[in-house]
Amino acid sequence: MVRIEHKRARIIIRFKNSKYEWTIEPRYWRNPLIAVVALVLAPLLIRDYPNLLTLLTTAYIYMLICIPQSWQTVGTGRLNFGPQFFVGLGGYTAGLLSIHYGFGPLQTLPVVILISLAFAALFSPLTIIAGGLYFSLITLLLPLVFLEFTYVYSGIFRGETGISGIAPLINLGTIRLNYVVLCYISLFMTLVYMLLIDKILRSRWGVLYGAINDNENAANMMGVNINKLKVTCYIASSVLVGIAGWFIAHYFGTFAGVTYLPFTMLIKVLLISMLGGRAQIYGVAAGAFFVVFLEDALRSLGAIHYWIFPIILLVFLFALPEGLWGIYRKHKYREYYPTMRVRKR
Amino acid sequence: MLPQVVVYTFILGSLYLLVSLGFSLISGVLRVFNLGYGIVFALAAYLTWMCMRDFGLGLIPSIILMVAFQLGITYAMYRGIILRYFEREEILLTALILVANIVEQAVNYKYPIIAGVSIPTTLAPGTLDILGVAIPKQLIIAAIVGLIFTTLFVIFFLKSKFGLITRAISQDPQSSLLMGANVTRFFGYACLLSVIPPIVCTLLVAPVWAIDPFMGSSFLMTAIPISILGSLGNLRGSIISSYIIGFVHSIVSFAFNPRFMGLAALVVVIAVLVFKPEGITRSESLW
Repeated sequence: MVRIEHKRARIIIRFKNSKYEWTIEPRYWRNPLIAVVALVLAPLLIRDYPNLLTLLTTAYIYMLICIPQSWQTVGTGRLNFGPQFFVGLGGYTAGLLSIHYGFGPLQTLPVVILISLAFAALFSPLTIIAGGLYFSLITLLLPLVFLEFTYVYSGIFRGETGISGIAPLINLGTIRLNYVVLCYISLFMTLVYMLLIDKILRSRWGVLYGAINDNENAANMMGVNINKLKVTCYIASSVLVGIAGWFIAHYFGTFAGVTYLPFTMLIKVLLISMLGGRAQIYGVAAGAFFVVFLEDALRSLGAIHYWIFPIILLVFLFALPEGLWGIYRKHKYREYYPTMRVRKR
Repeated sequence: MLPQVVVYTFILGSLYLLVSLGFSLISGVLRVFNLGYGIVFALAAYLTWMCMRDFGLGLIPSIILMVAFQLGITYAMYRGIILRYFEREEILLTALILVANIVEQAVNYKYPIIAGVSIPTTLAPGTLDILGVAIPKQLIIAAIVGLIFTTLFVIFFLKSKFGLITRAISQDPQSSLLMGANVTRFFGYACLLSVIPPIVCTLLVAPVWAIDPFMGSSFLMTAIPISILGSLGNLRGSIISSYIIGFVHSIVSFAFNPRFMGLAALVVVIAVLVFKPEGITRSESLW
């Protein structure tokens, strides 16, 4: 039977052995609710501006990469410098299946998940055997080696031009409607990622991830199965990044490794995480909007924007040591703040 | 194929010594992963070119100016970024990547890839036949200079008082500080020293290898596996791993496809890490 209780400003719903809680006090849910409503309304308000819709979707795509990356940073206690490897894996898997076998997006998705799962499982022992800088350096090399691979086998991966003619995610007849709906799909995926990872990080697993992030040797001594947690976190977060690659391939209808695998993509992913709020999943949203809209605003400067853009980001990196999320966090302080550790210890 | 592999293992291994020495030095002494290391290569080529073409200077004055400028930039990066964010490694690494990106893009803006940079640092034109393999004489000179340079580096760090203090700091900065070493100053010296090998490397290989504004990234990608294999900062390990990676690159280039060099190096690094998680020398100090 379902039992509903009111206890300590919470509504508690009990069903068999499960318990669900809803905090009644508005300060816990008001601001997230306002943010979600604003994000839901935004595509409708800017529906007549395809350029802005595309930018919004691009920001969501970056969030789809950076949110799992933030989770991985916390859960493995290591900074992955090559999340774009799984973007490439997901994108190329979806693209190749689509153009060679005529698979639609829903058919490519399970294959993308399986392939990402297989590669993530293959590389997951790195979270055990390689710590600190070693892990960062090896993961840095992975996408670059993959990029080389796409050049070597340009017959398959089509080298610098990439794969084109990938089945679109949706086709509703009009381009404008497609843009709006695709923006909503990316928003939906982003919210699912956020809620899922937020739920995990607030659960008992989250506490264990926090313990690994702070000091994995101490966590190990306290009886935490750190290897199991690190491996599962790495695999799950990598699969989520792979799904982001799947979305990119079907959203744009083309996929080129030269766009997503090089160092420049890593710079953006890192900056979104850093400027957003140092591995804070909500900070990533702020970071993604900031980086994407700033880059677009600077494009009007011409070729010079390629180096003006990183200069501005560098200034922000120095000026906001806790990122954009840190400004909000000053008012809504949370006790736990994960560390991003890279240095050899 | 065997003579080619042998000869190119020596040539590439010796050149990789120059490529990785500075990176290993910073990793070993400061324990910082210098992601901005690549800009030294691009700046070495393009600043020399700029001084020669735009300011009309001769080769030697251009090189002197370039070295002075590089030392200035490195010191500024050390004071402004490395020292300031030494304990905030996530900011440090991101800032170093950004600086590298800014410099590369600025160089590309001023001198796009199509600009066709050429630096007249050829010491010996033509090729030499070794074991039936024709090798550009310039590469042979570069390899020999790489060996000599590394030897001097090692002797300097093993025999001089400066080297002794640097090695002590690389073993334990806190204890060195307690013993009276000016750790901050020696960190700065290590940063300044780290730019010399890549500058020498760039000037020597410039006549025979392609130069572009983003060349630093590919050199960095070579320095990284060497540094990982060599226990991140151990000079002895870096020397051994330079030749291991040189051998891997040679055998893959001649037996399979040169574009698999990066993949092969990565496989070797991962395989070694499985059995020796801290690299081949098991020592995290400079020597």
